[in-house]
Amino acid sequence: MTERGFRPARGPVLALLGILAVCQRAYATLWRQPVLLVSTMLFPVVYLLLLGNSLNRPLRAVPLAVVDEAGNSLSAECLRGAASLESGRDLVRMRILADRPEALAGLRRGRYRAVWVLPLGLARQGPTPSFIGDNTDRASYDALESALREIWQEVSAGRGPAAAAPSARLEAYPYLDYVTYLAPAVVCLAIFMGSMVAGGLQVLEDRMYGYHEGYLVTPVSTGALVAGHIFAGAVIASIAGAAVLICVLLFAPVPLAGAGPVAASFLTIFLTALAIASIWSLLFARAKHASVLRGMFGIINAALFFPSGALYPIESYPAWLRSVSAVDPLTYGLRALRDLLLRGAPVAACYPPWLFLLTFTLVCGVLTRVFFRREI
Amino acid sequence: MTPHSIEAIALTKRFGDFVADNAVSFAVPAGETYGLLGPNGAGKTTLIRMLTTLLPPTSGAARVRGHDIVREKTAVRTAIGTVSQAITTDENLTVRENLSVQGKLYGLWGGELSRRIEKRLHQVGLWDRRGQVTRQLSGGMRRRLEIARGVLHSPKVLFLDEPTTGLDPQSRRSIWDLLGEMKASDPELAVVLTTHAMDEADFLCDRVAIMDAGRILEEGAPERLKRTLDTGEHVAIETDRTVSDSDREMLLALGATNWRSPVDRHAEFQSRPGEGIGRRAAQLLEEKGYRIVHLTIAPVTLEDVFFSYTGRGLRE
Repeated sequence: MTERGFRPARGPVLALLGILAVCQRAYATLWRQPVLLVSTMLFPVVYLLLLGNSLNRPLRAVPLAVVDEAGNSLSAECLRGAASLESGRDLVRMRILADRPEALAGLRRGRYRAVWVLPLGLARQGPTPSFIGDNTDRASYDALESALREIWQEVSAGRGPAAAAPSARLEAYPYLDYVTYLAPAVVCLAIFMGSMVAGGLQVLEDRMYGYHEGYLVTPVSTGALVAGHIFAGAVIASIAGAAVLICVLLFAPVPLAGAGPVAASFLTIFLTALAIASIWSLLFARAKHASVLRGMFGIINAALFFPSGALYPIESYPAWLRSVSAVDPLTYGLRALRDLLLRGAPVAACYPPWLFLLTFTLVCGVLTRVFFRREI
Repeated sequence: MTPHSIEAIALTKRFGDFVADNAVSFAVPAGETYGLLGPNGAGKTTLIRMLTTLLPPTSGAARVRGHDIVREKTAVRTAIGTVSQAITTDENLTVRENLSVQGKLYGLWGGELSRRIEKRLHQVGLWDRRGQVTRQLSGGMRRRLEIARGVLHSPKVLFLDEPTTGLDPQSRRSIWDLLGEMKASDPELAVVLTTHAMDEADFLCDRVAIMDAGRILEEGAPERLKRTLDTGEHVAIETDRTVSDSDREMLLALGATNWRSPVDRHAEFQSRPGEGIGRRAAQLLEEKGYRIVHLTIAPVTLEDVFFSYTGRGLRE
């Protein structure tokens, strides 16, 4: 099979050419479908902006009714304390009512989130204030209950609300709002989406439309085809992740310093992308129809994203969910990115997560090679 | 003796209780174009998939260029080129990119890859469209690109699974010409072709195998198969008056079969091919005083041979 003395590559060189061919096709395909690439990157950015600005924000102007039945000096102190919640933190919009039934009716109609009753004969030994809250809205209920209880404790201790001394707080790192805290998670989400589009979806489409026959009948080894699919998916997912990181740096400036952490962040993105792409390859090693992807997407998204600690600290999870986190590659990608981007940790702090991501990729790659359908 | 490019011995493929190919044996020497004809579900595509390593046989054996299709898959894949029923070129890639990807998968690279891409694109008439995205090509052009892709690495055995399905006559003819040129440029190239178009098989194939229900029913050169048919040639004679019963008996004795007279003064019958029965019948009728108004002698086609073996019933 030589023409003019040319001998086609065989062995490892053929494997490399095979990987290159799979990647070349994946990149050219995606390049000609920019909508797909842009939407892959846009989704996490929208996620960052909407989720970051809608979750974990301080409550403002929650309607509160206060019924002062006592009319004594203690109730006056309590009213001053509640007023300070409105004028200071802007936590409440307070309405003082004389009639308890009217206040409770307003609560049931949704006009107030809570009613604070200062009962007749209010005294330190009792009777004490009553808090009646709308517990369908747990966040408001908890915030109001906590703030009003604090006021009563201060008043009943004889210090008065104005005298309440702030507790000492020390922050180890510069101030971060929730959007910034979410930024590394959003980079991981971009990696997840990118690897799904370029890795999982492409493999399935190839199977559905018969393109994959063009790969299967060639002398390129199955291992090289698997590596090609994982690598192609990982590079595209890395591009999506890196693009989102750059957006994040613009929208939610993070305390990142120096070229080292930046380079380490991009390497983390690539290693995380490899691990996620290898999951898609393994899942679709035998699947034939896009319906499998539709069925799996929600499950995989939930199974990888939420246990990773993307939205809430892993320490709050029950034991079974922590064990999912322990094998979730996004946990490790996220940990490394948070260390680098938010905590300014040295690059060496990323070695354990990187090692996990590489091992995970290797295991999934080998399993994909075992399960990969080389036949139709 | 020239080794066979393909040799299949009792090749069988079962899917559960269904037997797609049942002990199929055949051989294709180098340089031959071999056609697999058969109705849908006859087992042609399954047979090709086994020979191209895409399906493992249930039993039996086959060798392609001397390599076992089960134990030496990589060597088989290196030796073959395939053009499948499905379009396997990526519609998002340009014509050139499709070939570039394919070439790498066969170990071609650098200047040699570029040279072969140019050669094949000139050969299939797509050089001027090398930068065009494949989805913009017509059906015929895409088929030509598929063929260029299948032969880019200069295989010694080429499998073509219904390569002209759905194409207009001009595109079909251009693909026939293209295959002729390829055979001329590489006399060792063995081609296995499946098709439902009998004229295509007749034009392209040195030998054909007629398959049905997973078996090869008959095999041979198209001309030989046509000659073996007892009632192949169609003869239609229009005379100035209706042929009498006694004269009809005379023609039946001559070798005419399946006599029918759809309208007055028209007679139709069939006869063995190559024996000139139609012309002799017309001469005899003239000698009996009939005036021959019109005489049509339609030669046997491969389709007649096909129907004689597979019947005319529809398949599932």
